[in-house]
Amino acid sequence: MKNNFFKRQWIVPYLFLAPALLATIAFKLYPIFIGLWESLIYTSFGGGVEKRLFVWFENYQYLFDDPLFWQSLKITSILTVIINPFQISLSLGLALLLMRKSRFIRVIRSLYLLPIGVALPIATVVWGLMLDPYQGLANGFLGLFGIPPQPFLISEHQALWSIIAIATWKGVAFWMLFLLAGMEEIPTQYYEAAKIDGARTFEKFRFITLPLLKRTILFVFVADTATNFVLMVPMIILTKGGPMQSTNVLAFEAYRSGFYYQDWGRSLSIISILTIISLIVIGLQLLFLGENKEDKVK
Amino acid sequence: MITHINKNWSIYAWYLIIVIGLIITIAPFWWALSSSFKDNVTIFAEVAPFSFWSMVPGTSLDPYYGIFQKGFGKAMINTFFVSVVSVIGGIVINSMAGFAFAQFRFKGDNIMFGFILLSFAVPADAIAIPLFKMMRQIGWFDTYYALIIPMLANGIIIFLFRQFFMGIPKELMEAARVDGLSWFGVYWKICMPLSRPVTLGAGLLLFVFQWESFLWPLIAAPSPDLHLIQVVLARFSTEYAPIWNQQFAASTIAGLLPLIFIYMFQKQFVSALTGVEQK
Repeated sequence: MKNNFFKRQWIVPYLFLAPALLATIAFKLYPIFIGLWESLIYTSFGGGVEKRLFVWFENYQYLFDDPLFWQSLKITSILTVIINPFQISLSLGLALLLMRKSRFIRVIRSLYLLPIGVALPIATVVWGLMLDPYQGLANGFLGLFGIPPQPFLISEHQALWSIIAIATWKGVAFWMLFLLAGMEEIPTQYYEAAKIDGARTFEKFRFITLPLLKRTILFVFVADTATNFVLMVPMIILTKGGPMQSTNVLAFEAYRSGFYYQDWGRSLSIISILTIISLIVIGLQLLFLGENKEDKVK
Repeated sequence: MITHINKNWSIYAWYLIIVIGLIITIAPFWWALSSSFKDNVTIFAEVAPFSFWSMVPGTSLDPYYGIFQKGFGKAMINTFFVSVVSVIGGIVINSMAGFAFAQFRFKGDNIMFGFILLSFAVPADAIAIPLFKMMRQIGWFDTYYALIIPMLANGIIIFLFRQFFMGIPKELMEAARVDGLSWFGVYWKICMPLSRPVTLGAGLLLFVFQWESFLWPLIAAPSPDLHLIQVVLARFSTEYAPIWNQQFAASTIAGLLPLIFIYMFQKQFVSALTGVEQK
């Protein structure tokens, strides 16, 4: 009886799962393979006819011979090394500030969460106008303190920093949300016990908050890194990779190769390289920050 | 005595940092909102040299009138359509998958669950270009299909529903099964009506994802008839670069709607996003 029941029923879970699973395979997994495959193909448009030629790793060969690629890799590295620790420490600091009890804390928290609801393109457009060298609010505000107008996005020395500022304005609240949720999960008894033992604020942070928050921090760090590897909306809308290639990260270089120059082989080789680099970096983060047995208290 | 002074000092410092942070957080959006009701000459005059009037909303509705003449209304309707269809479709297929993972033990269940979760760790923007090539191959390029269908399945939302369904007492479902209800009946008539809060949070996430999507609609559906709100906004900022007040008006509308939804359902939104139940 029971056996028979299961025989008829074995297909049921697969039916429930099928739409989401097939969609995941088709639109998440399969494109990765298309990307890898197409990066080995050279496409030419001779006389209006699209010709496709399998060229093994020639696209990669061209890429490695191209100084623009190395420049782009350099910009991506600089961005990655700066923006991720910056955003994480800022969100952690902000989360700590917002854990404090105050009469207005609910309102203050809600206001700090505002950038989460503001999409990156909106943030980019508004900040683009904020940072306008001639009529922007930023220079108007700096003028109050007697600071001369800054070029921001039109200077090769300031453009990348400006984009970091924009992405951070948008990103910090989002990552803070996870840290805040993680902090609220820590039982208050731990802090009370520490207080009785005479622990200072920093000691409470170092020996209670930090270890118990480690999994959340790791998740946020990894997710933030993965997000920033493909950060290109501000470049698409504002700088187009310039001035002087100073904001030309790999993700944008891939976008530009494909959509400006129709060089899909190059575009997808860059995407493949970017994906491999981000997998390595995330793997390293998990390896060095994740597997630390001594922190598994609880 | 000394500790007393210290304590006061730390509170003042706290407030100072909080206020500076708040100014940085809110000023850009508030400036955009205020300026969206002004003419451009006024905006420029109030900024350089800086005057506090730049933070006081104007009264002109012309910028809003202007953007609707430039096709902003069409983009809003498109975005609503795409978002609502995505919310409905996304809730159905993801909750079904969540039900499968919560309710059944079957061959490969753990592997498939891990696979689905992992696949969503890959940022959507990273696979946008190959996905675009795929859309061209299957003929969905520049259609609503391309805007909606690839965005439906979502690992976070499958996870949310799975967690919630695992909390529903098994006896309830077994009793319904004995009474002759099909498994689909159990899912649709018992589990789904119980999961209102999760459905609300999941729906909000799906809506916001679509409303805020930019790169994918930009490359997958370039014809103006299919433009979504963020794409139109970005287009305004290049095509009508000198017309600041209209860029502000478009930013205000595009930004305000999700903000209103998020603030209305802040609790559900935050628990949906972080997976932590809010008190």
